[in-house]
Amino acid sequence: MIKSLRQDWLPNVRHDLLAGIVVALALIPEAIAFSIIAGVDPKVGLYASFCIATVIAFAGGRPGMISAATGAMALLMVMLVKEHGLQYLLAATVLTGVLQIIAGWLKLGALMRFVSRSVITGFVNALAILIFMAQLPELTNVTWHVYAMTAAGLGIIYLFPYVTKAVPSPLVAIVVLTILAIVLGIDVRTVGDMGQLPDSLPIFLLPDVPLNLETLAIIFPVSATLAVVGLLESMMTASIVDDLTDSNSNKNRECVGQGVANIASGFLGGMAGCAMIGQSVINVKSGGRGRLSTLAAGVFLLLMIVFIGDWVSRIPMAALVAVMIMVSIGTFNWASIRDLRKNPKSSSIVMLATVAVTVSTHDLAQGVLVGVLLSGFFFAHKVGQILRVTSRAEDEGRTRTYTVTGQVFFASAERFVNAFDYKEVIEKVRIDVSRAHFWDITAVSALDKVVIKFRREAAEVEVIGLNEASTTMVDKFAVHDKDGADDILMGH
Amino acid sequence: MKNENKVLACVDQSRFADYVADYAAWAVRRMDAPLEFLHIIDPHPEQGSGEDRSGAIGVNAQEELLVKLSEEDEARARSAREQGRIFLNRLRERATAAGAALVDVRQRHGELEETLVEQAEGVRLLVLGRRGESADTTQRDLGRNVERVVRALNRPILTVTDDFHEPQRVMIAFDGGIVTRRGVEMVAGSPLFRGLPITLLMAGKERQDAPKQLDWAKTTLEAAGFEVTALLTPGDAETVIATAVREQAIDMLIMGAFGHSPLRSLLFGSKTADLLRSSTIPTLLLR
Repeated sequence: MIKSLRQDWLPNVRHDLLAGIVVALALIPEAIAFSIIAGVDPKVGLYASFCIATVIAFAGGRPGMISAATGAMALLMVMLVKEHGLQYLLAATVLTGVLQIIAGWLKLGALMRFVSRSVITGFVNALAILIFMAQLPELTNVTWHVYAMTAAGLGIIYLFPYVTKAVPSPLVAIVVLTILAIVLGIDVRTVGDMGQLPDSLPIFLLPDVPLNLETLAIIFPVSATLAVVGLLESMMTASIVDDLTDSNSNKNRECVGQGVANIASGFLGGMAGCAMIGQSVINVKSGGRGRLSTLAAGVFLLLMIVFIGDWVSRIPMAALVAVMIMVSIGTFNWASIRDLRKNPKSSSIVMLATVAVTVSTHDLAQGVLVGVLLSGFFFAHKVGQILRVTSRAEDEGRTRTYTVTGQVFFASAERFVNAFDYKEVIEKVRIDVSRAHFWDITAVSALDKVVIKFRREAAEVEVIGLNEASTTMVDKFAVHDKDGADDILMGH
Repeated sequence: MKNENKVLACVDQSRFADYVADYAAWAVRRMDAPLEFLHIIDPHPEQGSGEDRSGAIGVNAQEELLVKLSEEDEARARSAREQGRIFLNRLRERATAAGAALVDVRQRHGELEETLVEQAEGVRLLVLGRRGESADTTQRDLGRNVERVVRALNRPILTVTDDFHEPQRVMIAFDGGIVTRRGVEMVAGSPLFRGLPITLLMAGKERQDAPKQLDWAKTTLEAAGFEVTALLTPGDAETVIATAVREQAIDMLIMGAFGHSPLRSLLFGSKTADLLRSSTIPTLLLR
């Protein structure tokens, strides 16, 4: 235990602390921006980011991954906040955490394997588009100053690293634009105009909602969606960080950790959050690897907010918009556009459908659901093609033997039934299915149908090898987890 | 090369590797076992290397970062592999010259302790330098890895220091506990020390059954054909053992190791670690 504590926290102190500062600086504009998306005061997002980052540093299963208030979650809260207010959001946040802990205990992280690469790409792209779209209200019906400042901000963010990479360029952009706005007295909207900023450390508060079924009916649907989206994005981010750092993570511990972090956030006046793809990439890029980087990000965030809060309130919104556009550009998977033509059509459709559904509903859960279902359909369709029925006549045309090879299940049952010639006048039919796989009840009833059809034509039917074929009905025989499953599934 | 009873010599690129090779060669010669040199290359995935604190992420940031990080890892792994191969071959020649018949070398990526646990199957004896590559910079007497490895592995481990003498006089630090009792049986049954005079030393507080225990150990060893001197010396174990080692010119010590929990050794220190620090001779640790 001591060993793993040391392994998790201490091997990378200097890089972790510095990366934590870089991440904290980038978290501030994001937390403010996501609070605005959700329709709450910036302090709600800032407290949430502090709480989640700090708690996940201890409870998470993926060291080095950054979790905080996120756009994906903020988008799901909009209606709840609008109709019922902040207190219900806090209660929903706590419930989200509870649901996520249960998901972790039930080891639902394993369900991620049904989410294909295309769905993940769609999720990421949809998220980037949503983050970008959320900036549009700041860019409509405004003076040219705002456009100029946003453009200047983006210029600084992307060009300053060519001068030095020692200082976070988004910070430089924010500082320069703030000074410009104050010195030149440009009248643009600032963070202070968007609502209250934190003036103290967060304090423990029970959400002020009646504890009854009515409340539960209001918050449960939101919490369930929040829990699903939060875990989805966290699991995706965890595997991205796994790939980047060439190390493994504990996905179920991460589920529970996300839950604990959200419960803490809800009780300390923060909104629900999850892992962030963009910030985690920034963290790894800056050299952060261990739990210390996540903790440092949370703690620095709070220190900066509490002690320089006055200055934060004077940051022009245009500067934040520039940072958020950077985040959306960095999150979007541009290679997926290039690969649209190259990839199989079905994968591209899954990806585009995920994006389309998410962008139109503002709900990543629905987008992912559609994507997963579509992947399932396409897969069943493809596997259903692997079925061949051949036949040869015997006994001077009195007997015909059909040999079935391949996969028989709901998607291929009709092809299977149509592959036989019922019009042939014949005395005996032999159907050899020993080299086919019958995957479900549909396959068995399709075979029954074939047998009955032949009987009606007065042919005597003999089925060979049904036992072998139906061993693959794994639900019934559960061969998939017994010894020798390989022989049964792969052998013929 | 899996299930034979091999001697595994764990080496890094420090000067101690030569002595590890010498002792390993000595052990395989006596035990008539195959020898394998294991060089573990730790890619340190837990340590970051980022000099880029710009915090800006552009088009395809994730993909570019993945490419950059894997290229860095690749370059590091390649140079570690090439250097490792050279010094492993040198060690192989050294061991062959010292009389080891079957010598194999192997490099593995991974963290030291985990890799050793994975590789422990079929290992009869592990030979390990008590200090390693960082010895000259850290100036610590006991390499930071030794205790972790000893705790994680359930195999006899020969920890060696920075010189090689063919062992002539062996001492067993005997405390009557289950670990050292098993150790006595092991020594009696193993060809490793056959023909060498053995000193049985029981130190520490006087216990009622101490003479009986010591007697049992002596009889067991004598039955196996060893020439045994049994000593029962009261006093602080560390001092008594250190004095006896010096006075009797002992050049190999056998003792039980890390009988207590890691927490206790963190708080109160560990007798094993103290002993390893104070003794300058190779020590065979039994768990």
